[in-house]
Amino acid sequence: MIDSLYVAWRYLRYHWGRSLTLVVCVTLIAVLPLALELLLDESKRQLLARAETTPLVVGAKGSSLDLVMNSLYFGDSVPEPISMAAVDRIADTDLALPVPLYVRFKARGLPIVGTNLDYFDFRGLKIQAGRNLALLGECVLGARAAEALGLGPGDALLSSPETLFDLAGVYPMKMRVVGVLAPTQSADDLAVFVDLKTAWVIQGLVHGHQDLGAVTDPTLVMERTDGNLTATAKLVQYTEITPENINSFHLHGSPADYPITAILALPHDKKSAALLRGRYVAAGDQGEPQQILVPADVIAGLLASIFRIKSVLDAVILVVGTATVLALVLVLALSLRLRAGEIATIFKLGCSRATIARLLGAEIAIILAAAALLTGLLLAVVGHHDEALVRALFIR
Amino acid sequence: MQPIKRPLPRAAIAALILLLSAAAVSAQDRLRIYTVNYPLAYFAERIAGDLAEVTFPAPGDVDPAFWMPDAETIAAYQAADLILLNGADYEKWTGKVSLPRSRLVDTSRAFRDAYIREAGGITHSHGPGGEHDHGGLAFTTWLDLSQAAQQAEAIAQALIRKSPDAKEEIERNLHALRDDLLALDERIAEITRTDPGRPLLASHPVYQYLARRYGLNLISVMWEPEELPNEGQWNALEGILEDHPARWMLWEGEPGQATATRLRALGIDSLVLDPCANRPAKGDFLTVMTENARNLDRIFGKGAGER
Repeated sequence: MIDSLYVAWRYLRYHWGRSLTLVVCVTLIAVLPLALELLLDESKRQLLARAETTPLVVGAKGSSLDLVMNSLYFGDSVPEPISMAAVDRIADTDLALPVPLYVRFKARGLPIVGTNLDYFDFRGLKIQAGRNLALLGECVLGARAAEALGLGPGDALLSSPETLFDLAGVYPMKMRVVGVLAPTQSADDLAVFVDLKTAWVIQGLVHGHQDLGAVTDPTLVMERTDGNLTATAKLVQYTEITPENINSFHLHGSPADYPITAILALPHDKKSAALLRGRYVAAGDQGEPQQILVPADVIAGLLASIFRIKSVLDAVILVVGTATVLALVLVLALSLRLRAGEIATIFKLGCSRATIARLLGAEIAIILAAAALLTGLLLAVVGHHDEALVRALFIR
Repeated sequence: MQPIKRPLPRAAIAALILLLSAAAVSAQDRLRIYTVNYPLAYFAERIAGDLAEVTFPAPGDVDPAFWMPDAETIAAYQAADLILLNGADYEKWTGKVSLPRSRLVDTSRAFRDAYIREAGGITHSHGPGGEHDHGGLAFTTWLDLSQAAQQAEAIAQALIRKSPDAKEEIERNLHALRDDLLALDERIAEITRTDPGRPLLASHPVYQYLARRYGLNLISVMWEPEELPNEGQWNALEGILEDHPARWMLWEGEPGQATATRLRALGIDSLVLDPCANRPAKGDFLTVMTENARNLDRIFGKGAGER
């Protein structure tokens, strides 16, 4: 047997190009479905882990998937905004702690998450360097965001304009980086956290400017009537919050009217969660503009869709795999025909048919063993980096 | 002769260590409460007793409504178990800092529909925000002592949520405080009931809730106790007096001698009615309010009507 293996090995080495092609083909057939399985399992784990630790999400009626993906994973699809009055509404029920989120703006491609300090407590986010948010205009970076941007406490970060050609729009705001979070292997690692009010400053809803009552430059005033003053576009609004100008920043109107994208509702217990959901469901019949979602249910629905797609993918892989196996059989059959003279010589040298079959079997066994080894190696690499691969390929 | 030094018995040392560690544990167990003004700190101290360590960190010489804490003080607020807010837009600095909502207690939320909206300054417009003004709400809510009692109740509820085991003690303390506040409320109402339409002046617009609760016919100017008003302000006052023949002006602090003398020449006496937003140099919230009631009695009491 050892002799057969040795001769087969020498033969495969001599025809290394053909042998390598066969090994790669077999490896691919095996690796593709198995690696996909691994990655899908990991993405399921990651998606469900974050969803299962987030009890309830409240937001505007519309795509529940967009709302959950934006609120939990800071996805690019921004749901319709709701007002801060929705936060007061939940607080007034005394059934849950409302944690508002405003995930709409970006800084150098990374999501800016406007929230309050309760979010940090809820997600168990710890400051690794610097300090937590304290004043308007400050930001705290997730661990990977800080690494990607090359920023740390004391640096500055500009928010990105929403549309490049909106010349009359809000200017980018210069935020002070005051802290970097410890890594959590979650979407929080790639986010830029600001206080909700800072997010409104980025939007231009909260702003600071010269005291209009004390303006002396006539070109700053478009119209001055009894008790009313209309400023021109020349009036400079501050694009950076400093200790000198922080007191000039102010809200216009009631804070209850200010926009957010979602609320994480953290009920005190299961009964409170059920009661809160019941109130939204009951109000749904009377034109309730908001929806309350259990993120785990939404993500389970998403995963069901993914696994439906996966079964189609499996079928495709099966068909392609079968075709490849058939092609491999054909390659082997053709190579046997090509090697007809060679086989006849071996026979004339006195080898039995069984020996010839053993020789060919050893060649196939070596190819399959090499493919299995390579498959194992590739799967080990994928398994080792599955968390990062899933974040890079599927969840971000 | 040298006194004989006896070593402390081991039992005494052990007892001392136990006592000290018990005190340390007790200090750690106490709730940390931060407030934005003195009245809330007083209410919290009365209601919580030994359950909590109450801190009102503003310096004694500032008006807490216009104070801005530094980063270190903000961090202390962030680390507190409860942050007591007055509400009615009193603590404007909270709009510029990050605080955990779960630990904020808006003590006047129960009567937010009864807030008094002040006429603003100049309305103006710029950018996409539309027309607006920077006028706001009257915020010295506690000068209506029935509202102060409601604020105390909100503090008690928050404390009970944090320390449900101490519910009985908290409620007992709340009742004692509420009795004090409502007794004083009744006393002021009784004093002012004698002549509800009597015209009065206030040096600053801080008595809105007091005026509403106790039916004071009050017009406010914008004078500072330590500054002599300019001629324009005196002329404006004389204009007010034509339709509003007040004989008393209420001040937050003792006015300057020159101002008081010139007011007296106009037939107006000055009288301090301390809102007590910051910690008083002497006494406490209740003694200051009792003194305020006594001062109001000087205006409305027997014989004052002949002035």
